[in-house]
Order: sequence, then C-alpha cells, then structure tokens
Amino acid sequence: MTPDRVLIVGAGLAGSRCAEVLRAEGFEGEVVLAGEEEHPPYERPALSKELLAGRREDIDLRPAGFWSKREIELRLGTRVQRIDVRRRLAFTSAGQIRWDALVLATGARPRRLPTLEGRPSVHALRSRTDAEILREILRPGRRLAIVGAGFVGAEVASTARQLGVEVSLFEAGETPFSAVLGPEVGGLLADRYRSAGVDLHVHARVDGLRTGPQQRPRAVALACGNEVPCDAALVAVGAEPAAELLGGATVETNVCGLTAWPKVYACGDVAAVWRPSVARHVRTEHWTSAAVQGAAVARAILGHSATAEAMPYFWSDQFGLRLQHVGYGSGWARVALEGTPESFSARYYARDGRLVAVLLANRQHEAAAVRRELTECRRAA
Amino acid sequence: MFRIAIDRSLCSGFGSCVDAAPQLFRIGDDGIAVALFEKSDVPAVLEAARSCPMGAIALLDEQGQEAA
Repeated sequence: MTPDRVLIVGAGLAGSRCAEVLRAEGFEGEVVLAGEEEHPPYERPALSKELLAGRREDIDLRPAGFWSKREIELRLGTRVQRIDVRRRLAFTSAGQIRWDALVLATGARPRRLPTLEGRPSVHALRSRTDAEILREILRPGRRLAIVGAGFVGAEVASTARQLGVEVSLFEAGETPFSAVLGPEVGGLLADRYRSAGVDLHVHARVDGLRTGPQQRPRAVALACGNEVPCDAALVAVGAEPAAELLGGATVETNVCGLTAWPKVYACGDVAAVWRPSVARHVRTEHWTSAAVQGAAVARAILGHSATAEAMPYFWSDQFGLRLQHVGYGSGWARVALEGTPESFSARYYARDGRLVAVLLANRQHEAAAVRRELTECRRAA
Repeated sequence: MFRIAIDRSLCSGFGSCVDAAPQLFRIGDDGIAVALFEKSDVPAVLEAARSCPMGAIALLDEQGQEAA
C-alpha cells in the first residue's frame, strides 16, 4: 500500500528528484519537500563555477511553477530540527509535519577546520548564499587563501584566477587529488595550477590565521612556520553527512534506499547505500548518485521495480580542463597515463589487472565508450 | 509529445541518455549526444532527460516552454 503523505527532508538534487519521480510514476498522495535554504532546488555544481564567476544567475533545477504544477508542496526556509520515527512526526521551525513515509535527503555540510574556526573572513562553500558571499570578495588583486585542493578548492581557485584574484592553495598531500587520482595525475594538475598563477603549497598544514587591525586577515600561518599573505580564506576540506536527525554519523540504507527504520528512506550525500557490486555501503557526493538514489527511493516507496546500480561518475571544470571520472576511485593499484597535459586519459587498474576507473581530461568524446567498458568489466568480475 | 532539445555546449558525452532511451539518442562522432527524433512521447524520454548529469536535454512543449 502506498503512503498518503511523503515528507522529503532536504530540497537538493536527491530530494527534489525523489519528489519528481514520485509524481512522474503516478503517486497521488501528498508530497512535501522541505528545504532549509530559501532557494528552490538548484544545481549545486554551478556554485563553484558559473554562479561564482557571475556568468549565470539562473541555476534553478526546474523552471518556476514546475513544483506547484505537480502539486509538490515546497516548504522552503524550513529546518527539520527533530524527528520521531515511532510517531512519524517531524518537528520543524514552522510546526509539526506528520508523515507516512520519510525521505532523508539532508545532504552534507562543509567540514570545519578548528584552527580557522570562527575567524572573520573565513568562508565555506556549500550553499547558494555561501557562493554569493564569496563572489563579493573575488575582486581583481584581492588575495584568497584556499585550504584544501579538492574539487571545491580547485574549482574556486580556477574561477578566482579568471577573475584576477591572487590565489594561494594549500594541500595536505604530496599533490592535489593524490588519494583518488594518484601522484602522476596529481603532478600534472599541480603543474597546471602553478602555470595559471596559483601559489600552490603541498604537504601544507594550516595552523591558523594572522590578523591585522579590526581583526582583518593578514596571512595564513603554516605549521612549518611560514606565513602566506591573504585578505580572505576559504576552507574546502571536504564535507560530512548531515545525519544527525537519526543520531548517527551517516545513514546506511539497503540498495533501494530504505534505512533500518520502517518507512524511513535516505538518498544523496547523507546516505551510505548498499552496493552489491562491491559488497559494502558506499557514500558518494556525486551528482549522478544523488539523482539515481532520489529516483530509486521514489520507486521503492511506490513498490515499483528498482533502478539499476549506476556507475559512479563525477566531473570537474578547472583551469581549462574538463575532468571526467568514471568508476571507483579507491582500490586501484596501477595507473596508465596517456596523452598530453592538454588532453589525457588515466586508466586505473586493480591488483588483479581489472580496469576499475578512468579519468578523462578534455576527452569528452571518449566518455560514453569508457563508461560502457567499465560496466562490462564490472559485469565480468 | 515533447520536442527534444540538446544543448551542445552543456553535453559532456557521458551517454546516460543512450542507456535510458537507446531508441531516441546516440553519441555522435564528436562525442556529443544526438537526438534521433525531433519529437517523442515515449516515457523513456523523461528518464533520459533526468539522467543527464549536465542538464543538457530539455523537453519542450508546443510553445517551446520547458515541459518536463
């Protein structure tokens, strides 16, 4: 029996996709989509790119009127503070909401850095509001220190350089992305960042912020004793699941997105979903995973057949490179690199010789073939 | 009935549209998705548009408004 009212907590891609698919597949009960932010569902990947660069303002996932036309009740600016899974009640900043099925799509929030916590002009980038604040400080000649050369850090660095900002970038490892992409590819990217004028520091431990008059930032202090001048700092050291409503560090689900609680589902960045192909729970922060999981949860609620497990995929636009990564970034033993710094591919093999992931740089025409090849490899395994 | 519009500047050639609706899409020689028909009403067209990580596939109504 399908529920009367589905409450979806979190109006990002996973939550909004779940709502859409519920309607698209014929659900006639109430759909309440509650989001903490004031903005209707939008494309988060644009925050570090087009929106930050000021090239695009409309980043909404769907046109105005889309949600009301489908009788999806958007409750924006609504924070769910607590849930009672036995009584099926959510307690929000604007009263209680009863549910028959609950979908947790609360996403993730930026990891904090204790040494920079609570300092003025120290920013994070997760929400549209964060991006709008950061955009104001990206002026030619300003000096931005970015802590963490992950995807957010690297993309902001790229956008900031285009805007004429002086950028210093601090990475704890030996190269950017060395854990996922390996030191060879990391080295190629490091060279690229430096030739674009980024002051890249590797093996860097950021110890704190030195301030001048009116507590204005003056420099980032490194554990090695060096100081690097800056006017503002961005902390981009990853994100952690916003899982506190169920009291854990993450929310584990089965392959369809069902948690250990009856009628409570989870999808997107908050969810560690069971992946049969690797026989473990995997939490990813990728666009494609959020979209597929949101749809899978909708189908599970309706009792429809499950969505096939999607091949992990992410992309990044930085310093004139479109990076596309297909497959599992962990568990590879050997990398085969081919091409030039302007256009290359890196193929990642497991110890047994099986291809597990591929990174393409400015090779979009190979993406579909690579994805097929990896899907075949997984089937054969 | 939807009119299928692919934004070539957005398409990244990932090919999820081809998986969702092989009867409607293919990846061209330049690595960019191509719609095999201008219009379609098969349900898989919705799935194809939704599966696109770049949001490059728009489904338009008769007035050219985004319909789904």
